[in-house]
Amino acid sequence: MTSKLKKLGQGFLVLLLTFSFIALGIWQLHRAQDMRSAASTPVDTRVYPLTDIASATGSIPPASIGKMVSTSGHYIANFKAPNQIDGSGKVNDWEVALLQNDTDTAILVVRGLWRDRLLSPDIVMSTNVSLTGTLLPHQNDDRAENTPQQLSRLDSSLLTGVTDMQLFDGFILEENESTRAGATVRPRISPPVLTSGVPGFYWQHISYVVIWWLMALVILWLPFYGRRNRIKP
Amino acid sequence: MSEVQSFGALQRFRLMAILCGVNLLLLIFAYMPAKHIFHLVDTHQWMVFIPVAHGYLYIVYILTALQIGVQKRMSLPVILALVAAGTLPFASFIAERRIVKKYS
Repeated sequence: MTSKLKKLGQGFLVLLLTFSFIALGIWQLHRAQDMRSAASTPVDTRVYPLTDIASATGSIPPASIGKMVSTSGHYIANFKAPNQIDGSGKVNDWEVALLQNDTDTAILVVRGLWRDRLLSPDIVMSTNVSLTGTLLPHQNDDRAENTPQQLSRLDSSLLTGVTDMQLFDGFILEENESTRAGATVRPRISPPVLTSGVPGFYWQHISYVVIWWLMALVILWLPFYGRRNRIKP
Repeated sequence: MSEVQSFGALQRFRLMAILCGVNLLLLIFAYMPAKHIFHLVDTHQWMVFIPVAHGYLYIVYILTALQIGVQKRMSLPVILALVAAGTLPFASFIAERRIVKKYS
């Protein structure tokens, strides 16, 4: 009776582990598929009004990330964002401005390289600017020290203590900007290649799929191996 | 099981234990700091070979560990410990030394 119970327990454990490993393999397979589908999403070139696809009261919907948006307002603050990496992998200090785009809302806008900030001296706080650019999610990792003049990362939560405005999550990587006087001409930053947000690489996840399913096979085979060893001492 | 086959399985296990161990050390002590502390992976794309290679080397390591385990008729816990050794830093080097000492 005890031996039967022991065998039942072993069988249950083997099945539990096998199904767990198969499930882990399926999970890794989905992660690999997520990475591939994110890479193959066609580029949407339509320009959306910012408030149509994002709001200042919540995080950016995943479907809105990477979309071209337009908005207008006044720049109310300027910051340096050191050690930022553009789409071509170049590391530079960027000029980031806080754009008040309504009476009580604002969004961070990457205007260009920090060293080019004096190319448009005509834009002052009272100047109304219209801009279009790519809407990107906030950054999570610090690239420098956070001070009143510089941002350690592109994240509006760093500014919640210095303004009463409701801040949009994420930021706009500006492509063009215009005032009543005309378009502002300055070099812009190439947008980074968007990824799925799943860490790792496609073939890395595929290898983990193989590992988990191999583990499932090993678990299924172990009771037979144990029996063979008992039969042939 | 002939001596030649047994020797071949031992050599394969040794090779994979060392390769897997070195790759795991690179992953933990070079790739991880480069990616998460120094943010170097975006500008040094060749580094992605480290995590990708880790997965495939570990698959081969498991197969060689199973082969040597079955050939030497090791107990189940020892086989499972050998398989797990490929996932812990330095553990595959220790496993390789112990197996060589015992079976060569």
